[in-house]
Amino acid sequence: MRPALHHLGDRSLGPLLIAPVVLVLGTVIAYPLFAAIALSAFAVDTPTLRSRFVGLGNYAELLGADGRFWPALGVTLVWTAATLALQIVIGVAMALLLNRDLWLRSLARSLVLFPYFVSTVVAVLVWRWLFNDMFGLANQLLMKIGVIAAPLDWLGTMPSALLSVIVVGAWKFFPFVVIAVLARLQTIPESLYDAARLDGAGAWSRFRDVTLPQIGEVLGIVVLLRAIWDFKEFDLVYLLTGGGPVDATRTLPLIVYQEAFGLNRMGMAAAYAVAMMITMLGFFLLYRLAVRGRT
Amino acid sequence: MSPRLARTGWSLLAWSLILLVAGPLLWMVATSLKSEDEVFSLEPTLLPVEPTLEHYAVLLTETAFPAYFANSVVIATATTTVVVVLAVLGAFSLARFRYRGREAIASAVLLCYMLPSVVLIIPLYLLMVRLGLANTIASLVIAYTSFALPYALWLLRTFMAAVPVEIEQAALIDGASRMGAFFDVLLPQVLPGIISTALFTFILAWNEFLFALVLVNADDVRPLTTGVMTMLVSGFNIEWSLLMAASVMMSVPLIIILAFLQGHLVRGFGAGAVKG
Amino acid sequence: MVDVRQGRQDSVAMTGKPTTGENGAPLLNRRCLLGSALALPMLALPMAACSGNDDRKVLRWWSPQAAPAQARAYRAQIAGFEAANPGYRVVFEPTSDEGYPAQFAAAFAAGQVPNIVTHLPSFAAQSYYAQGLLEPMDGVAATIGAARFLPGANAPYRAADGRLSAVAIGGTAVDMLWLRRDLMAAAGIDTPPRDWDALRDACRRMQTKRIYGAPLPYGSNSMTSLVFISFIHRAGGQVFTPDLQLALDSAPTYAALEFYRSMREYCPPSASSYGWSDSLNAFVSGATATGIYGGRVLISAARQNPRMARTLVCVPYPSQTVATPSWTFNDFPCLFIPKGATEIAATKALASSLYEPAGYVRQMLAAPGHVLPVLQGITDSPDYRGNPITSLFATQIATMTRAAAAGHNLGFESPAHRPNTKAGEIIASHAIAEMVQRVVISGESAKAAVARASSRIAAIMRGADVPR
Repeated sequence: MRPALHHLGDRSLGPLLIAPVVLVLGTVIAYPLFAAIALSAFAVDTPTLRSRFVGLGNYAELLGADGRFWPALGVTLVWTAATLALQIVIGVAMALLLNRDLWLRSLARSLVLFPYFVSTVVAVLVWRWLFNDMFGLANQLLMKIGVIAAPLDWLGTMPSALLSVIVVGAWKFFPFVVIAVLARLQTIPESLYDAARLDGAGAWSRFRDVTLPQIGEVLGIVVLLRAIWDFKEFDLVYLLTGGGPVDATRTLPLIVYQEAFGLNRMGMAAAYAVAMMITMLGFFLLYRLAVRGRT
Repeated sequence: MSPRLARTGWSLLAWSLILLVAGPLLWMVATSLKSEDEVFSLEPTLLPVEPTLEHYAVLLTETAFPAYFANSVVIATATTTVVVVLAVLGAFSLARFRYRGREAIASAVLLCYMLPSVVLIIPLYLLMVRLGLANTIASLVIAYTSFALPYALWLLRTFMAAVPVEIEQAALIDGASRMGAFFDVLLPQVLPGIISTALFTFILAWNEFLFALVLVNADDVRPLTTGVMTMLVSGFNIEWSLLMAASVMMSVPLIIILAFLQGHLVRGFGAGAVKG
Repeated sequence: MVDVRQGRQDSVAMTGKPTTGENGAPLLNRRCLLGSALALPMLALPMAACSGNDDRKVLRWWSPQAAPAQARAYRAQIAGFEAANPGYRVVFEPTSDEGYPAQFAAAFAAGQVPNIVTHLPSFAAQSYYAQGLLEPMDGVAATIGAARFLPGANAPYRAADGRLSAVAIGGTAVDMLWLRRDLMAAAGIDTPPRDWDALRDACRRMQTKRIYGAPLPYGSNSMTSLVFISFIHRAGGQVFTPDLQLALDSAPTYAALEFYRSMREYCPPSASSYGWSDSLNAFVSGATATGIYGGRVLISAARQNPRMARTLVCVPYPSQTVATPSWTFNDFPCLFIPKGATEIAATKALASSLYEPAGYVRQMLAAPGHVLPVLQGITDSPDYRGNPITSLFATQIATMTRAAAAGHNLGFESPAHRPNTKAGEIIASHAIAEMVQRVVISGESAKAAVARASSRIAAIMRGADVPR
């Protein structure tokens, strides 16, 4: 792609510079990862770590009729797809808006980015307090303007529980899309828009023909990153609904946690985690294929 | 439509949306200023009727909040420093050198994103014990480094790849050493990227919850996230007013970052990261 | 995927002329910066690790009951112990009701256990003891003086091998029925309800547009499981037979489910996700006419809603009929010592020091009425009675003390039952809460929901086949 500098440099300098990274990632990720894969072949009692080899038994159980893998995968996919779609739509719209000349634009940008940076613990507690049926603002406001007659049960029943999780997830994470898209928007030369205006293009076709192609690549990366992060999100869902009602919002990471620490089945938890990782890898390869196919 | 009018229109639209987005957080601030019987009033009001700072005073004087805060500062700063130093050197290597295994390392780093962190906890904890680091601030710094490093590396690598090699070549021809050229030429070029990487890492370490819950259980090393939760949210009772005050104070460093460095965040992020 | 052009534009725009004018001082600064950046964590880590270093040996004490007032009482007890044992320093570390299984798993797995643990439920102690993770506590009980405990106070901790897995430190009557005299009078109710029909009727009559009848939990959490187990017993049923055969699929369970479902319309909308704190706040703030909770109601009401506090009535939660024996959930807050705790002699001394009368009374008064004394003579002592809450609510506290003493939980369903060492996992699996949710919220048939819960609980009971 570009001339490399390798002929100018010390041959061992490159590997030397990456060595600390490899060492750190090797110890804190690779080792626990192999330990996890190994664990998934055992029945392990969490507090005592006493174990018995079961081979693929854990996998057979989790994929079988009584296993919870498939339903949980369904919940995880619905959550990921819905919250991601919302994040992208809101994020792009907000970025377009913030790219305009506004009053106090810098303050506006800071406020919009805030949800992403505030701790998930804080965000979830605030939302739970907002959703509270007695003292929460959400019900009070909706009742005052007459949308609902009695307080709604936001987090305890379906479908509102899943919906609430999706909306709070979108609220928490859309600023990431804003940051990325806004950064890219700032580099689109104004001349492109001027040319489009001269051709008589309206606002929508300027967006479609100028903006969208320019931010397309950025969006691709953002979708990939956010999809991975949403798929394995734990804190937000766990703290908001704990997976309930029944298993309606129990995504795969919550199952892993429940198996490991609620049911003390560390081996089964590891098997769920490995299955989850393989699923993610599958989706990732599909994504790569799709991207390659396009370019 | 005159430009002035358009600006007013867009500003009004933007600001009403912003208030909606920031609404929950503004309500958090309002709640933290209400007295306890106002918090539990059956007719909630938007703004406190009689604002009070009592919850802040209680947190700062009667609880371990200041200690948790100090722990979080140390953990987040140390993590950021370690991650940025390792990632800057590593990204330099990945972006500017060719050697066997380079691509393999790059893909392996990408794969690290996909690990669900829940399952790494127990093996990681056992590892910390073996290293004699269980229940120390260092154990959290190492754990957070493991999540933040792959992303930081990827970010910085794209930043560096986007800087033309010719400038460095010129310095090398002028007699600079490889590292000299790196420090004097490449580093200033990617400074915005380093700042935005550092901010992301700091925020990640500041906000992490699950590992902090499991890896440390001593009060003198506990960070804010789990410290506040165990202190104020027992299964039997949630101290809402204190919790909201704690949430506001937890967010102060983030408010400072956003107020002063928001421009860096956006520009830095755009300059490299996202073009992967 | 790399867009080089864009990067160039940006970097040039950001830094101006990068290749010239960057020598000398700025360069030095950058190197210094990087150098100090490298040095900082090296400094920070040992500093953090060594902070508060002194020669005394450290004893660690964990408890999930760590409200500020309680933590103050513990500190006073610690100060007393440290004064008498100058070689030791005691560190109190709060844990949480929801978080402790994960923390203990990690601590046991690593052999980094605390010295003493207090206020965990009895079934947690029994379960850890059965796994060989705890020291037997008979010696500590003897040091404290077996006769000083209220009769039967230590029965829930008697393990299968006949030894004590823990000793009682307090009692809590967790699911009392709380009522308000003012609302009862307004609805024309003279006496607290004594059976389910009367209870439902009272809730119906006291419910208004602004006030709901009861804050029963329907969430997928431990409160729902624990409270509903009480309802099964109040219908005359049990989850297990005395020799631990699963007995969930029986008429009393169905009766309890039916009653619990019929109560849903008298509970606030978000009762479907209620846990302990929501339920408590709903009653104390006046949003519900009745409450289901332990003595923390007194503390919260005195603080948040003093006007209402004067009208509080506390009775054992009614059973299906007056003839069905009453059943109160007591999670039997206890004290145990993990196996492998360091400085075992000092640890045992610390454990027994917590029962010295002055400190013990102070600890009880840090959560008056919530954690009830398990030692003889405390409730009548002038120190205990001198507290504003214990004196104002003496009747309610006496009622709770009686109920707690006769209380049970899933690990100890009756004196005839063998200790159930899987109780903690059954609660943590939320199998029973989910059974309630399936019937009440999802509208599934009770038969199917009970069958499903039974098979999950059976699987947990079978799960013991990991070799020892």
